[in-house]
Amino acid sequence: MSGDDWPKPFPRPADDETSDSDAGAPGVFAPSSDPETGPSAFSVAGVTSESPDPPPATTTTGVTLKPPDPPAAGAAVQHFGTGGPHAPRPPLRRRISPLSWIGGALLGIWLVAMPLTSSVTELRQNTQIVVMVLAVLGVNIATGYGGMISLGHGVFVAVGSFAAAYAVDDLRLPWAVSIIAGAAFAGALGALVGLPALRIKGIHLALVTLGLAIVFQPLAKRFPAFSGGVSGRAVGAELVPPEWFGTSRWAEGLYHYLICLAVVITAMWLTHNIINSRPGRAMRALRDNDTAAAVYGVNLVAARVNTFAVSASLAGLAGALHIVLVPFASQESYPFSESLVLYATAVLGGLGSLWGSVLGVAIREVFSWLGALFENVGGLGPLSQFLSLLDEEQFVFGVLLIALTFVFPRGLIGMFTRRTGERAPRFRRNRTRA
Amino acid sequence: MMDEVLLLQRIFDALFNSAIYSSLALALVIIFRSTGLLNFAQGEMATFSAYIAFVLLAGAAPGVTGGGLAGWFGAPFSTPLAIAGAVIIGIAAGATTERVLIRPLRNAPELALVNVTIGILLALNSLMAQWWGTGPRVFPPFFPSAPGDHLGIAGARLRFSTIGAWLVLFALLTLLALLLRYTRAGLAFRAVSIDPESAALNGIRVGPTLMYGWALAAGLGAIAATMSANSVLLEPTMMVRVLVYAFAAATLGGLDSPKGALVGGVIIGLSQTLIPAYVPFIGFELSVLPALLAMVIVLIVRPAGLFGTERIERV
Repeated sequence: MSGDDWPKPFPRPADDETSDSDAGAPGVFAPSSDPETGPSAFSVAGVTSESPDPPPATTTTGVTLKPPDPPAAGAAVQHFGTGGPHAPRPPLRRRISPLSWIGGALLGIWLVAMPLTSSVTELRQNTQIVVMVLAVLGVNIATGYGGMISLGHGVFVAVGSFAAAYAVDDLRLPWAVSIIAGAAFAGALGALVGLPALRIKGIHLALVTLGLAIVFQPLAKRFPAFSGGVSGRAVGAELVPPEWFGTSRWAEGLYHYLICLAVVITAMWLTHNIINSRPGRAMRALRDNDTAAAVYGVNLVAARVNTFAVSASLAGLAGALHIVLVPFASQESYPFSESLVLYATAVLGGLGSLWGSVLGVAIREVFSWLGALFENVGGLGPLSQFLSLLDEEQFVFGVLLIALTFVFPRGLIGMFTRRTGERAPRFRRNRTRA
Repeated sequence: MMDEVLLLQRIFDALFNSAIYSSLALALVIIFRSTGLLNFAQGEMATFSAYIAFVLLAGAAPGVTGGGLAGWFGAPFSTPLAIAGAVIIGIAAGATTERVLIRPLRNAPELALVNVTIGILLALNSLMAQWWGTGPRVFPPFFPSAPGDHLGIAGARLRFSTIGAWLVLFALLTLLALLLRYTRAGLAFRAVSIDPESAALNGIRVGPTLMYGWALAAGLGAIAATMSANSVLLEPTMMVRVLVYAFAAATLGGLDSPKGALVGGVIIGLSQTLIPAYVPFIGFELSVLPALLAMVIVLIVRPAGLFGTERIERV
């Protein structure tokens, strides 16, 4: 490779193992132009300061395009890594495909039309689906942005719901405070889990978080005052809508839906801001190359603990909202497979993308709907037994997880936004050499 | 019973689990050593083999029904034959998994491999629950385990099943050592484990060699699962907790050290029985917690484990 002659400021252990042309080797630490979907935080550019984005141009089709980076920077571009001087990295360019418009429109229509057309029970179930976005987003923050594979986020969801139930029932706190308390408690627990993550990385962290997910159920039974023990705890308090809103069961459901939707949107907006600010850049720098991040002044301890705390508190928030909808919290609802399905949802949607998490949850619902169609196909002997497998969320997600790794390594969101010159989040592979 | 006798009895009871954890940990070590991959699906693959044995045994003993797919293979077979069949099918499945799902990802990032193994775990778990039901199934014992089948040592009972499990484990270890030391495939496997690139330069075909490793690991897992299916009850999730113990054992001993897997398995097996007995808070159900904590502490303090190679990371 011609690029071997060039200095590599931060050669990584993975460099000698990936034979593909690695144009994204860290050069100068410059914040990438649009970090929303989490490209490498180290873009190769000769400029160290962030160039302000020119206003987006609108094409005739109405598709907003981001103009390429100013060419002035290109003159000074010096490429490190194996890309070599003759393979200039194409500028990051965002192309929003028509698919995204369709998807966004569908989502908007669903959010408005769903409460108007569904029964009380359906409304409740669909609100739970909306809330699930937060839990998946939590996994995404830790894994997609922070590079710390978390297979145990169901634990944080559960802890969030227990803490919120405890606050609202036993401490008699108002709902708003209780929900925040649930998120905060889960966040604190996440920070605690994040501490070992300082030393435990990559696949070993995946192992530890899987262990956490497995140990959670028996552990929760040991704290009956908090978790309700074996049978779980019923939540006595109810979130009653104000009188002008109406008192019917449907009005109550709508009230809960609107509150949950507002919380979810606010949380997503906050997350978006965190990701695009200094802590968020630190997160991605850490994911891509922690040594380089440390060299550039990222406090590794703070960044890792922050990332885990943010991601766990999102999951905890999902749990806290859950008890608003279903006044019952039990460890029974959080077997380890639930955590794995959450992880699978995040991966399916697309790691390192906020909208990927939304998409993942949507896909999950589409498949559960498809699965329900096949559930009761009888009379085909062993085949109908196989078809009923398609109604098993675990099975479908397991198969999809495998298939997507081969077909869409970046998750389904990869269909929607495609950028030139961008790679999926990298995960270094540590090998033991005897 | 006197305290010392009780302690001895608990140690004897623990040794059976130790043998199971050691063999599963050994399977994990074989795969980690050669590919740097933690096979999260190892437990489910092993459970699947145990279910295959269950099907092959259908009708062999009262209560052994074979479940959903009974009768497809001309069951019942005798116990040794059924277990041999299950191990062979397990080995074939392990090798196929490597060839179809793992080898295409040899240059992929770590995340892709975690995804694939987690995907196998989820899919297999659900598949088994669908075909054979979630409830525990009766599985005939591997070793004689009538109430009287034990040796009395200093007042404590050493059950035949424990002795049998250790005999099987030692036989497997010997076989493994012979395979790795005296066959060409074993030599190739050792070479690939040390440095796949140099091995490839020397004309060793890395892919098939790794497939050999996966086959060995799957076989070990299948034997561990069929040995323990009688005592822990055959159900789709039976290996989930066992996998945590096995991972803890492998981590404790050093993820790339077969000797470590053996020692780690014994330590984790003993702690799993002794800690709940003397710490009331832990109890039987929470006995996974000490194993998980041990794993975390080892990974923080000494990631190489007791016998593993220190990882030297170039930055």
